[in-house]
Amino acid sequence: MNRLKPLNRKAHQIDAAPTEDDVEKVVAMSAAVAGCATTFDPGWELDPFLGVAGLCQPMEADLYGCSDPCWWPAQVPDTLHNYQDWSTGNDDAARDWKALQSVFPK
Amino acid sequence: MKIKTTALALSASFGAALLAAYPAGALAAKDYLVTAARPNLVFVVDAKARKVVKSHTIPNTSMGNSPITLVHSRDGKTAYVIHNRWETVSGIDLESGKEVFRAELSGGDIRAKAPFAMDLSPDGKELAVFVNPTRLLPGEYQVLDPYIAVYRTDAGVDAEPARRLPVPRRVSTLAYAPKGDTLYAFSWDMLKLDPQTGAVKGKHPWRSWKNGDQGEPDTLAVWPQFEQANVFATPYYVTHADKKEGDPAALRAGIWRLDLEQDKVTFKEFENAGVVLFSSVVNPVRRDETYTVYTQLTRVNTKTGKMDRVDLDHTYYNVNVSSDGNELYIGGTQGDIAVYDSRTLKRIGNIRTPGGGDQVLTSLRIFQR
Repeated sequence: MNRLKPLNRKAHQIDAAPTEDDVEKVVAMSAAVAGCATTFDPGWELDPFLGVAGLCQPMEADLYGCSDPCWWPAQVPDTLHNYQDWSTGNDDAARDWKALQSVFPK
Repeated sequence: MKIKTTALALSASFGAALLAAYPAGALAAKDYLVTAARPNLVFVVDAKARKVVKSHTIPNTSMGNSPITLVHSRDGKTAYVIHNRWETVSGIDLESGKEVFRAELSGGDIRAKAPFAMDLSPDGKELAVFVNPTRLLPGEYQVLDPYIAVYRTDAGVDAEPARRLPVPRRVSTLAYAPKGDTLYAFSWDMLKLDPQTGAVKGKHPWRSWKNGDQGEPDTLAVWPQFEQANVFATPYYVTHADKKEGDPAALRAGIWRLDLEQDKVTFKEFENAGVVLFSSVVNPVRRDETYTVYTQLTRVNTKTGKMDRVDLDHTYYNVNVSSDGNELYIGGTQGDIAVYDSRTLKRIGNIRTPGGGDQVLTSLRIFQR
């Protein structure tokens, strides 16, 4: 580290705040579910009891309940932030699921 | 029942003009459902007739993300709904469909979202919205403190908060006490706030709940449906430390109820956890009966713990109950509202959303006219 010199503002910040106490604490963005980062419990592949009987039936009943609040952002496109038009025009998931496409990180 | 009495009084004061606005023959107060559906609909249903009587569009919203929490004025004139990817709250006149209130939560470099919690003061004059703001900086997101934005409902379509109340994170429900003197905020605990200042007047413990050998209870309470009995009810799961790992009785399910008029909590564990439970409503007539939905409809007597259960035709998120306590309206998720008899738990009707769009995570509310 002695041979490295910070060149920009962020690098200076890292240099100036080397200890944990000096760094701002990470604060979860989530309130209940917003933020896409704090819902880790099983749910899309496994139910809370680690079986499948408790999953939504059919899957389409829960599809927009997962995409619209960004509930399982790894499994279902997040229409709250990143893929806002993924399901536009396909408002009945049980009828329109064939029109829904895969998404890829931008 | 208090709400029904209020509705009758309002019907009398508005007179013939109000009655003429809804189907003829409605001389006695009738139940109307009000809810939302994709892509941008707010609609009203004559509950007994199983018929959509009004359908309105929310203007200037996202068409690829569904409306969520909806709260109605107790006279049934206006519904307030969170939409536009949770960044806007609109008030829709349920008779004309006109947007009479609009508050944009985001602005400048602040992206603010309202994740579910919202309620209207009993006099209809103030709207409380839980807001989660983030500052979008060029190289980072700066998480800001959440707050409750309190709006005057006569603030029009360019509304700004009349005041902002400090509040902890993770508020999933806001609920005014019927007298309007307390605003309940369901966060880590059920907080009792002064609606004017946000001062915490007290709390009903949840995370800090000490009850024998039980651990911290877990719940998901994002569906406001307490207007019929004035009781907030939510299912919960809780572990018991005295049970061995693998013992089915180590994880139990129960119903937690807060009487919003009496400020009194009751709870009842009724089974070993094995079925997913999402949202609950209390019967306004047989007040010991609580109904919970997900892929099953579950009726629990919260005094005795007796439980009855039937399978539903698909998963639903929310449930509400008629003023006479006889019918259950089960909605959310897809594009239909199922009607069930609250005594026999048999399906007795079905209502399609206008256009067939999914209801997703919105609220299913009831008013009387």
